[in-house]
Amino acid sequence: MPAQALPPPCTFLAVGQAFAGTQNVSSSQTSRKDEAWKVKVQLQGCDIQRGYLCGSMEALNVPAAEIPVVTFWEGEMVDNRNHTFYTGKWDASFLCRRETDVKHWSQFPSFEPLRADVEKDGGRSLDLANYPYFFMRWKEKFFVNVGTDCGLTIAGFYYICFSRNDGSVHGFYYDPNSSPFQKLELKALMAGQSGHCFASYEFA
Amino acid sequence: MPASTGWGRPEDLVENLSSMDTTARLKALRDVKNQIIGNKTKKLSYIKLGAVPRVVEILASDAEIPLLVQSAAAVGSFACGNEAGVKAVLDSGVLPHLLKMLSFGDNKQVVEACARTLKMIFQSSLAPRSEMLVGQRMELLLNLLNSSNENVAEVAAHVLARCCESVEHQQAIVDAGGMQRLVTLLSGTIRRREAALDGLAALVKNNPQLSLQLAAMEQGRPLALIIKFVKDKIPRTRFLACMCLANISRSCPFCYPQEWDIRTSMLAVIVKLLEEPGQVGEESPIVLADIVANNEELQRAAYKFDAIVKLSALLQRESLPTKQLEGILMALAELCSRLEESRRQLLDQDPGKNAQAAIISALSHPSESVRVASCTCIKSLSRSVKNLRTTLSDERLVFPLFKLLDDPSPVVQVAALSAVSNVVLDFTPHKSVFFQCGGVSQLIQLSRSMDPMLRLNAVWALRNLLYLADMAVKEKVISELTVSTLTSLIHDPEEMVQEQALAFVRNLVYGSVDSVQQVFAEESAILIAVERQLCIACRPEVCTQGVYVLSNIAAGNELHKEAVMSFVAPVSQEGRNPSPILRFLQDMSNPQLRVAAVWCVMNLSYPDSPGAVTRVARLRESGIEQQLQKMVDDPCLDVKDRVKTALEQFTGLANV
Repeated sequence: MPAQALPPPCTFLAVGQAFAGTQNVSSSQTSRKDEAWKVKVQLQGCDIQRGYLCGSMEALNVPAAEIPVVTFWEGEMVDNRNHTFYTGKWDASFLCRRETDVKHWSQFPSFEPLRADVEKDGGRSLDLANYPYFFMRWKEKFFVNVGTDCGLTIAGFYYICFSRNDGSVHGFYYDPNSSPFQKLELKALMAGQSGHCFASYEFA
Repeated sequence: MPASTGWGRPEDLVENLSSMDTTARLKALRDVKNQIIGNKTKKLSYIKLGAVPRVVEILASDAEIPLLVQSAAAVGSFACGNEAGVKAVLDSGVLPHLLKMLSFGDNKQVVEACARTLKMIFQSSLAPRSEMLVGQRMELLLNLLNSSNENVAEVAAHVLARCCESVEHQQAIVDAGGMQRLVTLLSGTIRRREAALDGLAALVKNNPQLSLQLAAMEQGRPLALIIKFVKDKIPRTRFLACMCLANISRSCPFCYPQEWDIRTSMLAVIVKLLEEPGQVGEESPIVLADIVANNEELQRAAYKFDAIVKLSALLQRESLPTKQLEGILMALAELCSRLEESRRQLLDQDPGKNAQAAIISALSHPSESVRVASCTCIKSLSRSVKNLRTTLSDERLVFPLFKLLDDPSPVVQVAALSAVSNVVLDFTPHKSVFFQCGGVSQLIQLSRSMDPMLRLNAVWALRNLLYLADMAVKEKVISELTVSTLTSLIHDPEEMVQEQALAFVRNLVYGSVDSVQQVFAEESAILIAVERQLCIACRPEVCTQGVYVLSNIAAGNELHKEAVMSFVAPVSQEGRNPSPILRFLQDMSNPQLRVAAVWCVMNLSYPDSPGAVTRVARLRESGIEQQLQKMVDDPCLDVKDRVKTALEQFTGLANV
């Protein structure tokens, strides 16, 4: 992969940061309010050098589940260094065709200026390091507090667009067996009573 | 007395060792030797009876070949695998006699028996190292390298290698011409060159200067020869060549051309040698660890050569020699220090194969170095959120690991603390398992240690323990740690400790108003300590943690914000003073520090709080808005974005 500059750090992507909002279960075009549930995400690991993130995702009022369902996810940052706009993995080959990728990325208005390049050559030469948005994929790996019979599936993954400016998160869940374009909308949470708090840990 | 053994009473045998009758002496010597071989109890009882000085006396004063051979062999038996035996033979002054025999003995049998015995003695850590490297003895040893008897040459190289305990020892050998002589041996017979490789490897270990010297010697000719031996057909030669080159690379990376390619080709060789029987297989893992140390690309290459799979299979064998077990754990620790795929491969194994259980059981191994190695391995494996949330969040691991915080050896304690620092990040807010095993109290004890390494690692672990911890955990920790210990840690003489202590406070005050309230205990002693440290600290990493403490406090209620304000925008009798955080906003060396300072300002000027308008006015008077305006094009995107928001907040509140 070409030696692209790494994106500079962003404090909204610091470990411990939390985000809250909703996920629409039915497709975004036909969304009805009762088919949305509350979601809370917490970032637990972030290694920009490797384009790696991970965290937990909590679905709060899922009709099919009695308690909030927590999953652990791992994410890839599209940095043209570790990862590109093309997914190229996770599940069967038909799943992650390039058209599927472009179709999903195109749901984000901030992708529009990049679209032509991505369609041409995967956007590999784009300078994403200084772009005001991070594009990512989040893939849930396992259920933390419930069994796999909890009524939810983690077969798919999220296409994510993350705003450096205010830490807001937009995403679309992709799983060919679920309804298309399930929309995720999250805002950065302030951990303090009136302000942003930052915790920190460091591996020894 | 059982007649069949033909042995007399031990007391009589010992008496006969000094008999005037040569035949009786020889018989007694043989009998003693035969009885003690492989029998620790017999060895100890003969040592008690005073047999050793009598045996040595024969070596010193007899002239008959069979007596000399038998006495040298008996001394060797006493010294073999038995520290009490080594001590007894050294105390009886055997060394000069052995060396004399090696140098001037003209009988091959005698010389070889003496050589074997000397080698046995030098396998023990009790052997006198420094004493071997002075004056005549050093000269004698170096001359023995040229002995026409290759057993003698081999033992001389072996003894020299075991004497390389410090840079001074290594330098003394080189100054006496030892490196040159060993290099000459490289062109000799198989045993000579293997002896030379062993000696050279010891000479350059952890010694950048001598590594460079060997690499550059004779236009690189000896180096080229060693490199050639990496591909030799004899496994032991390949192993020794790898060890020698790995030591060079570890102490002086890139000190010769193509070093990189050589290391890669060595890697393939050493991974294959892991499965060799005997000494080569036992010692290959530690050489593998040296080759891949601090190098992600080589760690990845080793992964592709299936090093993890092989090491993991070896690890699960019954009764491994201590040295091999230590080496395997250290190699796994290096291989898993950075690469998640390696960690996964080691932990995600078929049922029935359980590397993790073997690593955990090594935590309780009697050998100190094995315990250190297994802690280091757990430290590497736990540098992964996913592993901490799954395989490593296990009481079977936590209990024995925390037990090592009490280890008598500080080296083990430091290694255990590093692993604990990661393991306490279990990403659950209650962290109950660490309290259950008494580990938290132990961490707090260690944070008061006089040893700076122990203190640093203990505070680090406490800082990680408080990461996103719930209020109950925070209260328990702070009440046991005490405010006064925490303030001394904030002012610790070591900057690294200061940094961890401030990061601890940052996590302590993260979140709820109750969390923030804790720094106001005992007349705000913690807050005062943080502020004082911020006024005097130079290291940006220390300042960054301190500024985040203020920033988190400033995210609390009005009183909390006001407390931070009196530091950030101080009022004196002469009027407004420049804000101490201007220095951090202006620090162009460190964007993290600038961004932390901007967050602090943002929290102080957070619009939806009652005192915001007044605070913004004060911040403006302290020159902060003016400074922010200079930062609108900050080279760091994160700083630039935050400055933009902060200035919007200022403008918004000015227009209220």
